[in-house]
Amino acid sequence: MSRPLARANSPLEALRDSKFAEIYNEHSKAIFYLALRLLSDPEKAEDATHDVFLKAFRKMDQFRGESSWRTWLYRITINHCRNLQQGWNERHMFSNADEAIWETTAAKSDSPLRVLETKELGQRIQKALDGLPPEYRLLLLLVADEQMSYEEVGALTEQTADAVRGKLHRARKAFTALFEKTA
Amino acid sequence: MNQQSKLNPQEQEQAQHQAGAEQTQQAAAREFATPEELLRHDALHTPVPPAIAHRLAESIGKPAPRPLPWWRRLFGGSNT
Repeated sequence: MSRPLARANSPLEALRDSKFAEIYNEHSKAIFYLALRLLSDPEKAEDATHDVFLKAFRKMDQFRGESSWRTWLYRITINHCRNLQQGWNERHMFSNADEAIWETTAAKSDSPLRVLETKELGQRIQKALDGLPPEYRLLLLLVADEQMSYEEVGALTEQTADAVRGKLHRARKAFTALFEKTA
Repeated sequence: MNQQSKLNPQEQEQAQHQAGAEQTQQAAAREFATPEELLRHDALHTPVPPAIAHRLAESIGKPAPRPLPWWRRLFGGSNT
């Protein structure tokens, strides 16, 4: 059960010093980033992050500790973003039927990505991610989080750690090819 | 002799600005071994909007909405 928090002078004070505040402070950056890159829209990502943490707050007593908080929050985020994208995806996103394209691209997965740190870097990254099949996009974003093991990424994406490793190679290659095109 | 190559103050300023910009670009050029490394870097430099914490604290103070009845979940509908 969620408990109403004690009245405070500002909303932020109400969250301070609680277990939930600790969770928010530790994981909000990762959750916002995942939502941002999955939804490709800062405003939607802001709403999604709010909704994810509100859901987490209301279901905190259901957390059994079988996974880490990060994994649990990621699961809520992925489901939430999927729900938001249902229908929208079919109209706007790339089709996975084009997956074979990545096998014939010239980019090598082991070639380094040279970038200039400009304001446009985020836009280039988003553009490249948007061009990926959704599964590759999610894998790359989850594996990029150093707190996540291949096993945990596999559990979140309903596949084995070996399958994650296998697909990751193709995902890197596809991302590199798309990223180079954004230059 | 040298006078021909001399720049007027305005041109000098322009040249300095250009050189500065090039230097900044060179300094900011980075290489990432993998896309994950690039994404990690991007994540690190993507701040969480402070408004989320404010909204969250306000939402937490409100009672949770009642769950939808089964027939509305089945046939669609929202809480609003």
